[in-house]
Amino acid sequence: MAFPSYNPTSRTFNAGDYVYKKFTSQSGKEVRILYGDKRTGMELDLGYENIPDTQADDFITHYDEVKGGFNSFVLPSAFRTGWTGDAAAIDAATGNQWRYASPPEIRSVRPGISSVTVKLVGAL
Amino acid sequence: MAKVYTGRDGRLLLGSDTLVKVTSWTLQADLETLEITTLGDAQRNYAPGVQGFSGSAALIYYTDDDGSNDASTLLRKIINTTGVTTADVVSLTLRLVDGNTNSDVTLNAYITSASIGANVGEVCSAQISFQGTGPVTTVRI
Repeated sequence: MAFPSYNPTSRTFNAGDYVYKKFTSQSGKEVRILYGDKRTGMELDLGYENIPDTQADDFITHYDEVKGGFNSFVLPSAFRTGWTGDAAAIDAATGNQWRYASPPEIRSVRPGISSVTVKLVGAL
Repeated sequence: MAKVYTGRDGRLLLGSDTLVKVTSWTLQADLETLEITTLGDAQRNYAPGVQGFSGSAALIYYTDDDGSNDASTLLRKIINTTGVTTADVVSLTLRLVDGNTNSDVTLNAYITSASIGANVGEVCSAQISFQGTGPVTTVRI
């Protein structure tokens, strides 16, 4: 199955950075060498508050299908719900896909209701 | 026939025994709501969470001819030397009487606070608060 297509209740996006290395001389002069032309390392935290357990377990099913943090995947457009800017701006940048940065966390709220937190990272 | 309930119709039962010197009772029912508003929603949405029941009552501290003291029975649930255990759960029925018809709410509860005082020129009375545990067992209102 694809990543669950539910509207998140919270979303935090970190734009990542380009890969470069910084060299600092003894005098303090700094040189940076750019190693790639693609931005990577985007971070995306998605929260799904108070959803049915039957939806919460979909995240675990997907986590198993992509073998945890091993395989990468794309996200359905539902993760951008409420965002009216450029769709690409908060997605994995060109050449990247998403991977799990950590296992999905499920917090049981009451019988049948849980909250899920998913942390993803963009990878080339 | 229309019926307007007054304090005269009120009863408080401990188990199946009507406490005779109750001057007031209140019942508070609460529902916790869980927000399910998602990004993109323009209005907040909620799902029902867990219920809670609590209340209070005032009783005159009064010893009957047979030596019984209704207020004392409830007061001793929290004012005691042995602490409170699960055995101190009481079954309370809050009742409004209309002839032979009773409007009841029955719940199991812990007595969570109690106060008693003596004032010159007044009868001694006790105020208790209770916190329901589990669902209400009877609802006829």
